[in-house]
Amino acid sequence: MFMDKDRVIAGINWPGTAVLVFLGLAWEAAVRSGLLQYEYLPAPSAIVLGFGELASQGILAPDIAHTLIAVAIGWTVAIVLGISLGFLLGLSPTARRYGLASIEVLRPMPGVAFAPVGLLLFGFSLKTEMVVTILPVLWPVLVNTIGGVSGVHQRLYDVGRTFRLSRKDTILRIILPAAMPPIVVGARISLGLALVLAVVAEMVGNPEGLGYGIVREQQALRPDLMFAYIVTVGLIGIILNAGMLALAEAFFPSFRQLRSGP
Amino acid sequence: MTSTEERSDAGEKAASPAFECRSVTVEFPHKFSRKRIIEDISFLVRSGEFLTIVGPSGTGKTTLLRAMGGLTPTVSGSVLVHGKELDGPPEDVVIVFQDYSNALLQWRTVTGNVAFGIERILERRETELRVQDALALVGLEKNADDYPWQLSGGMQQRVQIARALALRPAVMLMDEPFAALDAMTKASMQDELLRVRDRTGTSFVFITHDIEEAVYLGDRIAVLTGSPGRVDRIFEIGLPVPRDQLSTRQLPKFLEYRYAVHQAIGRVHG
Repeated sequence: MFMDKDRVIAGINWPGTAVLVFLGLAWEAAVRSGLLQYEYLPAPSAIVLGFGELASQGILAPDIAHTLIAVAIGWTVAIVLGISLGFLLGLSPTARRYGLASIEVLRPMPGVAFAPVGLLLFGFSLKTEMVVTILPVLWPVLVNTIGGVSGVHQRLYDVGRTFRLSRKDTILRIILPAAMPPIVVGARISLGLALVLAVVAEMVGNPEGLGYGIVREQQALRPDLMFAYIVTVGLIGIILNAGMLALAEAFFPSFRQLRSGP
Repeated sequence: MTSTEERSDAGEKAASPAFECRSVTVEFPHKFSRKRIIEDISFLVRSGEFLTIVGPSGTGKTTLLRAMGGLTPTVSGSVLVHGKELDGPPEDVVIVFQDYSNALLQWRTVTGNVAFGIERILERRETELRVQDALALVGLEKNADDYPWQLSGGMQQRVQIARALALRPAVMLMDEPFAALDAMTKASMQDELLRVRDRTGTSFVFITHDIEEAVYLGDRIAVLTGSPGRVDRIFEIGLPVPRDQLSTRQLPKFLEYRYAVHQAIGRVHG
């Protein structure tokens, strides 16, 4: 996508960036001056060097790739399941009567608690990661889809009827686009969660990817490398969120306005 | 079907009114019984006619309009379009709602909204032509690419009217369409609507609680009173056409009609 250089510069939050830089410098100074005396708390400069070490060893990129694949699979499955189930529950009172109780029971269960289950069933594998990831990631998109679908204004159904839309056209041309803003919000929350849970699954279950990297470097007593992994996860989170927002606004030009609307 | 029957059918269609209500009664469930909203309502809408329905709130104006548009079922009586009894929203009839911001598709541009009713039925080229025509009729050509939320209330209501016009309906049912607009916008929209009627020959059924608006727009006025609502009287309005916001409203006849409609409503309520 084409973007004006001046607009990008104008879009940067300079005061916010300044605070971040200041915090980094304060951390650096505190460690160097001996104000913070922990054996395993590295200075930011050491973390930056750690990045270089990981990259030169060629292990950072495969770890990033593994975690991204886990996020992509877990999120996609959750989105597809969540939107279709959400439509079913949002549109059918019968489905709600039978289904909502199960959702209320399953929803509070922490996904991480299923890690041992995944390990028993699937061993050290991507499948174990999915067991941990998919269930918690499902909820935001499912709940938002139900809310979005059942929140479509009655008048829009009237409009659909006065123009004699079929049931299928009513869903495709009215309900789906009308419910899209809350669905996109749910999908965005789910994406952030997917990253968190994939990392957790790698820490406690499948020994691969960024999550395992954090644990491995901790056990190797290399806090600089450990922090480099943590920062990597954070950066990926920021990029995924920004990408999701940009996509939403590219596909739904009115999304920017609707997002802040009622 | 024999050929004679076919011929008499066709003859009947040509002579029949665009729209007809025959002792329409609507009830809604209310607590443990049913509440009668409108009762035994009968009237005709002639082809190309502007019929206004006026009445105080709570007399079932909107319910009557929804029944005419096939959105609300009747418990007895029937609604006929071109002599054919309707079950569900009829092909040639379209409703324009009062709350334009809820009735417009906020994710579509003005063009997309106006195309909404016809894009499934017509070819793309024909759709585009009709959208252009409809936008020209309501003077929104310049806003074709805007989104509804970028427009003023009056312009949004124009979009809804254009969306209905694009379908080229025989009858347009309008539920207090100008109630939420300011006085100046309202006046210009009234004139616009009369012009649209003159150019397209569409029949209008127009609900309002504004008696002056009912007199100004209507060829006839049906007065709805009571609960359940009934059509108490139908006035033939013999004001000169085209109507004019200043001169028509000053005519002694205009004031007489206004007085008479007031009386017709007040007689029951006073």
